[in-house]
Amino acid sequence: MNPFAKVLLCTTSLLAAIVVLPSAIFAWVDPTTVYARAFALLAAEPYVKQGFHLREDYWAGELASGERKAVRQQLFKGNEYWFWLGTEVDGAKESVHIYDSHGELAEQPDSWAKGHFAAAHIIPKTTGSYFIIVSVEKSPAARTHWALAYGFR
Amino acid sequence: MVLFSKRLNSMVAAVFGLALCAHGAQAPQHVNINQLSTTVEDVVVPLPNELFGALNKLGAVNWKEHVRSDEEPNFTERPRIALLLGTVIADGFIAVQAEDAPAVKDIGQRVLALAKGIGVGNSITPHAKAIIDAADKRNWANVRQELDRTQNSVQQAMNEVHDEKLSQLVSLGGWLRGTEVLTSVVKQHFSNDGAELLHQPDLLTYFQTRLQAMSEFNLPIVHQIQDALVEVKPLINIGNARISAESVKKLNEITTRLGNDIIKKD
Repeated sequence: MNPFAKVLLCTTSLLAAIVVLPSAIFAWVDPTTVYARAFALLAAEPYVKQGFHLREDYWAGELASGERKAVRQQLFKGNEYWFWLGTEVDGAKESVHIYDSHGELAEQPDSWAKGHFAAAHIIPKTTGSYFIIVSVEKSPAARTHWALAYGFR
Repeated sequence: MVLFSKRLNSMVAAVFGLALCAHGAQAPQHVNINQLSTTVEDVVVPLPNELFGALNKLGAVNWKEHVRSDEEPNFTERPRIALLLGTVIADGFIAVQAEDAPAVKDIGQRVLALAKGIGVGNSITPHAKAIIDAADKRNWANVRQELDRTQNSVQQAMNEVHDEKLSQLVSLGGWLRGTEVLTSVVKQHFSNDGAELLHQPDLLTYFQTRLQAMSEFNLPIVHQIQDALVEVKPLINIGNARISAESVKKLNEITTRLGNDIIKKD
């Protein structure tokens, strides 16, 4: 993607997130991950329309290629959750997966990853702690910004 | 604006299309959790309505009997206000479950007063107004969203001025109130699925660890909660075993006692 198109996409994505989810974006803005968050919110939007409650809080950071980060999360049986990951880095391949407290993959098969987005879906079989593992599998950048949001219904 | 709106809709549709055409993400079936230990974030504290939503799916709950509208005393100690603020926000989620508009509006005002008492009133004023407006319209989804935004804004405002410990007390207050209501509901109509919602050992450890690092908050209520969590631990940290009706009853006694201690003057 050429630089102009990239700036345009980032700006449009950010504006989209601002229009759709105003308080979510203004609640607290970390300038280093704001674009990554905009992409995560963009990934969430279709699911919010399906009735998922998007939590205001979010998690963000930066990772080198091959690095991963885990977020420990209390999930409740009976709820359904989606986790959405975003990055603004072109050409980066990122992923998000959900494991139970024993380290077993616990997500639904419709979890997906494409371009600036990745998403993982879980309908917990038991109430307890789960690990949401975010990774940057490859990236042209030395450090790749990421932001993780989640929703439930 | 119309053009932008159309473009926005196109973008959302494009993202949804991506989800449909994206490759299923290949992931290892098993990971060694112990190897992740250096990269694991603290456990994420769920919102009270995550818990209440799961509880609601187990059967009809008479939420009205859990709505609380007592006037709290005016505390001057910031840790006490933070605990109470978390409790009152949880009360807001309960009032939404009960679809009790007057209670929600009252809670919106109380949240604002408490936030002012702790020095973060400015960031809460628009949310309190939005809560009251949405309650007037009985738009419960918006009230839930605004309560979430309120808690997030309070905690972000505290974190920005390095009051992370007060922020953690807000979470703790909400968690205790949520647990009090959960145990009350499950105690009345016991089921294994209901009791399983109490299986939160990592959250308990998280709060215990945080409280241990709050030695500067030398208040009776903080010590009471610390002591109570020691009582709670063996009741919910039981591995794969089921949480019994007797344990639920004890947990309700403990959390009800703490709930009363949080809202009353020493």
